[in-house]
Amino acid sequence: MSNKEKQDKEKRGLSRRQFLGLAGGVVGAAALTTIGMKVQWNTNEREIDLENFSSSIAETDILVIGGGMAGLFAAVKGHDAGAKVLMVSKGRLGSSGQTPFAKGIFAYDAAKESMSLDEFTDTVTASAINTNNPVYTRQMAEHSLERVNDLKEWGFFDSPLYNKAFSKPIDERNIPVMERIMITHLIKENGKIAGAAGFSLDETKIHIFKAKSVVLCTGAGGFKPNGFPICDLTHDGTVMAYEIGAKVTGKEWNDGHSGSMDNPAACYDGWHGMFDMAPSTNTIDVHHDLGMEGNYSAYVLGNPVSSGPGSVSAEGGPYVPDGFDREMEESGAPSGAPSGEDDGERPSGPPPGEDGGPPSGDEGGAPGMAASASSGGASAGMAIHKSEGLVPINEKGESNIPGLYAAGDALGSYMAGGIYTQIGSSLAGSAVQGAIVSEAAAEYVKGISQPSISTSTISSIKESMLAPLNRDSGYGPAWVTQTLQGIMIPNFILYIKKENLMQAALAYIEELRDHHLPMLRAANLHELRLAHETANMIVSAEMKLRASLMRTESRCSHYRLDYPDVDYKNWQAWINIYKGTDGQMRLEKQLFDAWPAQ
Amino acid sequence: MSINSISGCIGCGTCVQSCPTDVIRLNEKTGKAVIAYPADCQICHLCRMYCPVDAITIAPEKSIPVVISWG
Repeated sequence: MSNKEKQDKEKRGLSRRQFLGLAGGVVGAAALTTIGMKVQWNTNEREIDLENFSSSIAETDILVIGGGMAGLFAAVKGHDAGAKVLMVSKGRLGSSGQTPFAKGIFAYDAAKESMSLDEFTDTVTASAINTNNPVYTRQMAEHSLERVNDLKEWGFFDSPLYNKAFSKPIDERNIPVMERIMITHLIKENGKIAGAAGFSLDETKIHIFKAKSVVLCTGAGGFKPNGFPICDLTHDGTVMAYEIGAKVTGKEWNDGHSGSMDNPAACYDGWHGMFDMAPSTNTIDVHHDLGMEGNYSAYVLGNPVSSGPGSVSAEGGPYVPDGFDREMEESGAPSGAPSGEDDGERPSGPPPGEDGGPPSGDEGGAPGMAASASSGGASAGMAIHKSEGLVPINEKGESNIPGLYAAGDALGSYMAGGIYTQIGSSLAGSAVQGAIVSEAAAEYVKGISQPSISTSTISSIKESMLAPLNRDSGYGPAWVTQTLQGIMIPNFILYIKKENLMQAALAYIEELRDHHLPMLRAANLHELRLAHETANMIVSAEMKLRASLMRTESRCSHYRLDYPDVDYKNWQAWINIYKGTDGQMRLEKQLFDAWPAQ
Repeated sequence: MSINSISGCIGCGTCVQSCPTDVIRLNEKTGKAVIAYPADCQICHLCRMYCPVDAITIAPEKSIPVVISWG
């Protein structure tokens, strides 16, 4: 029987009712228009003409990828250091990633603080149980005031919307910014970085960038979670860099933000008006925040967890170092209350529960901090700020690939550690690192000639970039993402960890990696973006499970029910992940006080 | 459902640029903003805040089922 005959037979054997049941929704309606000709409920109903793709090539010294706080400073300071800079972003300058929603920035003013830089660094290290890299912790504090002063000059503190203030220094310097271009590939030639490639979200156009150096300011990522504004962050930079041989770290840590039970996906509503506020600065305030306490309480006691006075908390759970117990316990609220009120993405306010209740309305508050019931996994898939991303080989954000740098949440600098420590240090760290890293890149490009990229490299990248559009059938990225979420988001996988469940989840993720990822389809440019984002999330999910399985202890935001204690003997180390020569994911330990071996 | 109406649009395209998740597009014929991909709305309100004529209203409900960790 020929293929055609076989399809016809199958079609006849399928009643219209069955067909509707299978297809459902929009896809069903679309396919129905062609019923009687062919059953094509899985067909990629392409909306664009593949023959029409044009391509352009741009050249620069430093390519900055990402338009948030790190990208802003990388572009400005790289330019000021004498390099030709080009910025490319998936979204709009100051209006994508997490930057638009971060409202508090730490400014260390030596004249006003009672702690020295060394004392501050030691305090962070105590809270982070040694998981921070003190070089980056100190660097962030040391340069934070200079960056805050730059931001003041540009008008950053005058509006809740950052595009105008970010545009000021960029426009003054005539730095080219290309927005709404999703970079899908980093390009390495002759062992060094040579550029990047991506596609436009608005026209059928591929963009090739030749660059002597690339600074990744692509942020971190999550699993497009419900309740935290990171649905455009899918670890794109990390995964692209991993694919060309960069080392990645920090995948076992988790940001423990919870959300509200009322409309958990409503980021704006969950933050109680904070997004409407202009940003402000804050001073030294070191915590042990965004860990697993709320998840542990929900796991042991059942859910939902409420954070109002009189709530009960579960016995045991994640270890909190002396001196960093949450103040909430004293006021009667549970230690297991969802964290988040004190994270760096809001101005410093009263500690949670200081006034016996949720944060005051004036200050706004993080999701889950209202007296109403909370939900979990608001930021699922994301690690603690600055603790996941490319492994730096030095204090300048350089990766193990010559010319490839990262800054901000795309750099695994461990500035805060495996737990969120200094309030407002996330935004400050991105600003400080963006500047330092790009100045290092500007120095690097001085001795480098413009790389050439072979036509065979370009054509193979194009093929891989557009593959989801070319597939006549396959899996829609939205469905694969929801399936991934169903595997990775439940509390008992990445928050309250156990070996057998992580192994089970890994089996599912390997299935998505081996079968579904290669069959992701896209009908238009929006879906093409989703397809690449979904693929990146699958790779990150595998990294998170493997790193969490390897770390046989509990510390900071990594909590294992089967290894509940801190293991000072075996785990004074971070985990680096890289692609082995056989294409398999490899993991290695790197001691806390060492840079990676070259 | 997430972003639920756009009324009084002047077609400036600022919301299209400002949306982190690429939910809004300009209609090719009318030149006005349309909610093209509502399932991807993260309900962050940036489009509403950047809109120069306050044309956008947003509801807190997500248009697709929501996966949460616990709750």
